[in-house]
Amino acid sequence: MRRLVAVRLFHAVVVLFLVTTIAFFLLHFAPGDPFSFENPNIPGDVRDRMRAEFGYDRPLMEQYVRYMGSVASGNLGFSHLLRVPVTQALGTVLPRTLLLMGLALVISFALGIRLGVYEVRHWQKRRARASNGISLFIYSLPDFWLALMLLLTFAYWLPILPGGGMVDVVMHEYMGPGQAAWDRIKHLILPLTALVLIVTALIARYQRAALLEVLPSDFVRTARAKGVDERDIIGRHALRNALLPMITLAGLAFPALLGGAVFVEKVFSWPGMGLTLISAIGVRDYPLVVASVVVGAAMVVIGNLLADIAYGLADPRVRVR
Amino acid sequence: MRQLPPYSLFLVLLAAACADRASDTGGGTMVVVHAGSGTSPMLPPLAVDNLGRAIVDNVYERLAEIGPELNSIGDRGFTPRLARSWEWAADSMSIAFAIDPRAQWHDGRPVRASDVRFTLRLLKDPKAATQYASLLENVDSISVRDSLTAVAWFRKRTPEQFYDVAHQVYVLPEHVLKDIPPDKLATSEAAMRPMGSGRFRLARFEPGVRVELVADTAHYRGRPKLDRVIFSFVADPGAAVTQVMSGQADFFENLPADVLQRIDTSGVARSLRYPGLQYGFMLMNQRDPKRLAVAHPIFGDRRVRQAISMALDRQAMVRNIFDTLGMLGSGPFSKALADTTIVLPLFDRARAAALLDSAGWRVGPDGIRSRAGRPLRFGVMVPTSSQARMRYAVLIQEQLKSVGAQADNESIDIRAYVDRLQSGRFDALLLALATDPARSGVRQSWGTAAFPPAGQNFARYSNRTVDALFDSAATTFDRSRMEQQYHRAYQMLVDDAPAVWLYDPLTVAGVHKRVRVEGMRPDGWYVGLADWWIPANERIDRDRIGLRPAQP
Amino acid sequence: MFVEWLRGLAAGVRRLDSVSRAALVILGALFLAAMLAPVIAPYSQSHQIDIVGMKNHAPSLAHPFGTDRFSRDVLSRVLYGARISLTVATLAVLVSAIIGTLYGLTAATLGGVVDTVLMRLLDAMLSIPRVLLLIAILALWSPVPLWMLVLLLGITGWFGVSRLVRAEALSVREREFVVAARSLGAGAGRIMLRHLLPNVLVPVIVTTTLGIGNVIVLEAGLSFIGIGAREPAASLGTMFQDGTEAFAGTWWAALFPGVVMVTTVLCFNILGDALRASLDPRHLHRARVGTGTAPLHTAE
Repeated sequence: MRRLVAVRLFHAVVVLFLVTTIAFFLLHFAPGDPFSFENPNIPGDVRDRMRAEFGYDRPLMEQYVRYMGSVASGNLGFSHLLRVPVTQALGTVLPRTLLLMGLALVISFALGIRLGVYEVRHWQKRRARASNGISLFIYSLPDFWLALMLLLTFAYWLPILPGGGMVDVVMHEYMGPGQAAWDRIKHLILPLTALVLIVTALIARYQRAALLEVLPSDFVRTARAKGVDERDIIGRHALRNALLPMITLAGLAFPALLGGAVFVEKVFSWPGMGLTLISAIGVRDYPLVVASVVVGAAMVVIGNLLADIAYGLADPRVRVR
Repeated sequence: MRQLPPYSLFLVLLAAACADRASDTGGGTMVVVHAGSGTSPMLPPLAVDNLGRAIVDNVYERLAEIGPELNSIGDRGFTPRLARSWEWAADSMSIAFAIDPRAQWHDGRPVRASDVRFTLRLLKDPKAATQYASLLENVDSISVRDSLTAVAWFRKRTPEQFYDVAHQVYVLPEHVLKDIPPDKLATSEAAMRPMGSGRFRLARFEPGVRVELVADTAHYRGRPKLDRVIFSFVADPGAAVTQVMSGQADFFENLPADVLQRIDTSGVARSLRYPGLQYGFMLMNQRDPKRLAVAHPIFGDRRVRQAISMALDRQAMVRNIFDTLGMLGSGPFSKALADTTIVLPLFDRARAAALLDSAGWRVGPDGIRSRAGRPLRFGVMVPTSSQARMRYAVLIQEQLKSVGAQADNESIDIRAYVDRLQSGRFDALLLALATDPARSGVRQSWGTAAFPPAGQNFARYSNRTVDALFDSAATTFDRSRMEQQYHRAYQMLVDDAPAVWLYDPLTVAGVHKRVRVEGMRPDGWYVGLADWWIPANERIDRDRIGLRPAQP
Repeated sequence: MFVEWLRGLAAGVRRLDSVSRAALVILGALFLAAMLAPVIAPYSQSHQIDIVGMKNHAPSLAHPFGTDRFSRDVLSRVLYGARISLTVATLAVLVSAIIGTLYGLTAATLGGVVDTVLMRLLDAMLSIPRVLLLIAILALWSPVPLWMLVLLLGITGWFGVSRLVRAEALSVREREFVVAARSLGAGAGRIMLRHLLPNVLVPVIVTTTLGIGNVIVLEAGLSFIGIGAREPAASLGTMFQDGTEAFAGTWWAALFPGVVMVTTVLCFNILGDALRASLDPRHLHRARVGTGTAPLHTAE
């Protein structure tokens, strides 16, 4: 077990190293002034400091080493859009994205697994097949389209929910604690629904496929031969085995959620990392753009790491090794 | 006696209405939504976009305020602001302004004549690059006679000399700004925390999110009727419209034509037509963006510029984008202040094609013209914050194809747009400027002395004869001679075709139904902001916040 | 050999149920219409018919999908847009397939240390979120020409394919004819091309077919935020961007591109599911799900 964790940790570090290297080369070879060495919108003393730190006018290798060192110590450059160091900017917006993604992950897994099981268990019934069709349909919809439809329907045609933002821009700071909590929940509903719909459809599909894969297996046949109730076969025996890949799926759900979050955040003006990324693109705030990629990859890596550890804990076959 | 009852009833109602207003001790929060990610620095000399000017106009004050008819000749119609009174010298070469002793900066320090002197120096300082240097050419300096008397000295007697010093100058606090090197002003803390003497104070600035102004309750001219004005930022005009329609925002300054009907029937907001001085045009850079000393390879030739002007069906474009809410551009001014006798190039594609042929641009096999290996291809820069101009770009692109020119649309963020605008790194762009109420202000946009950073002549258009005519007209007191000179100058300018005069927008704002708007002037919807009010019985949640600061 | 797998494919297709067959037919029709756009579209993509008189017309006989605010015929734009979307997606997927196949085959053929290194590298690259990476690259190099967009989409999406190919190739590697070839002294390249490749092709085709739908959605998303396909080469996603502003008033400008896009993706997904199920369900599934690293749709 410990060995597994160590290997995975090493793997995670390697990935981060690779991502940061890619980030550096992207910044270096992109047209324009990606390190903002000459950006007039940055205060002069900050610019001088950055030039010194990142090695303006130095040979490529030296710049690379300096960059890697800076990133390792948490310095990702200066954002001229938000006028603060990039790390600080991301530190403010990242938790908001994590909130959205975390909630979406939990809810979609709960729903998706149950949906997948339901579809397999009652595969002959019309309802299950309809549900399969619906999840296929939702899976085929582009994330931003779904988000837009939700926004138009519930914030525009039937204006019962706010049309964007995380809290009420004006009123939130003046609300009492109960009201403020309700304000937050109201603003969460639509973006969360969009993400949950997409990921649930996805998970239901995979769960269903995994179950179907496992059903013909020997141990299931044995259980059936022993006369175990069909519901139990699917619900307990098969599911437990089909669940294992799902744990790994959670780790892999992160890239999908990140991608979906970017579009959802844009449509709902949710001030998280995705929206910041899009604003940064508009004003060519390259350090911020690239840092988002690095942080995103870090999130995926950590997610994978946790999932792998969980997998190791759950699967006796792995543990014995 | 019979007539009295209805008359007295009227009086009673009038009195009741007045009492209602008078007993209104003020209150209300207004949310102004702005499409864009932020603002230019919030210091008067550096605030070039609408948002910056709206904030600056309410946080800072001028010596005197222009009258509603925007008369810029002499001092007729001007009302006292920081200057309680003023005295012309006998030879009109100087004016002595008496600063109101009650005037204070928001940090409590009193406003002094030395502040006025400092402000003028800063505005004219080439290192500060404020784009006012060309407008204040005639104001030589300000001297301090005593702590409350500032004397403005002029180089020449001109009809608009009072306007120059009273209207173009927002007085800045010397004690805050004097230690900041002028070239570092834009990125300084002071630019993000503007402090003036106006009826509103800056309460909060969150970059990319909002700017919050709060009423200065101890102001010597009386506190504003509103408690708070919040300028909130959204990504694009569509989102801004949505916010007004749903009641999340109270004001948006520029509604597109197609939402007017929906806003008026929404029951939440109303459309408000207001006068404006803006005019929109496609500006063609006369210099090569890569080397500003050299003429532009395509637009340096007058024939090409004229051909492009003639190739565009400006009337149809105005109808398409604005419906009935826009008028055809009439030249380098808004229709309200236009010289309507100026002759503009007519829409004539055949002539345009002939002109291009004669200028050496031959049609190639793919339909695009070229000359000496260079194709007739150029970028048209548009800010994403202006829906109208983004749409114009699409129309223009297609129309220019018909004469063999290829326009590439470059839609960029307003900040990057302003950057490139001021540094001259563009081929063509779509710009909307506000006409200066003073006729002599035209030199700031089209004079040779007004190349950035001293002025707003972004295309670096230069015609010495036009300069001489404008200068002469600005100093002539003979009305008919002045008109003649302006007319000649404008006609020459238009014949040079530095720009294609596209549109005169009839500006329509989206306003929440409970907000009462006062004192809108053509040179800015925001000038009367301190007098806008919300009736007590129509207040909603956000109006009840009052003046208390936010809980952490 | 070519005939062999064609036959296998045909057999798989014949086994499709009616829904999947309908999807196939619809896709075929869409593809045909899109590719023939320059021939069958009544107007060009950017032609503004009459900016005063023909602006924002609702669907009618003359303009079945209506006209947009610049008086452009929406039907023509949808046809051209579909052409761009489909071309970009198909070519991108092709690029992915080629790179992925080569990578997977190399890993499987060479085996040993090379295999381990390549697979670890693959795992690392899989951890980088595809959407974020694409956004970053496209934003830094904006505006990006269409061919570069295709390449970028292709080189960020081959990871799943290579894993699949490797698994398939590994299972084939131990079969007799391959062992025989090796003992006869055939080089790695030859083994790869002549023996392994043909057997991997069918599952690759199936996976990549499923992938086209995902790439269409991905490209649409990138175009929606303004960094994908741009005018005048507008894809269905780009058309979305202008259409949504006026959705309440002029619904046709956003609805029709949306319907076409969703239908296309749906058909691809239905087809992909069915093909996978009918061609070799258990085998493929183990390769994708059994190793515990099933790629998700936007990560692919």
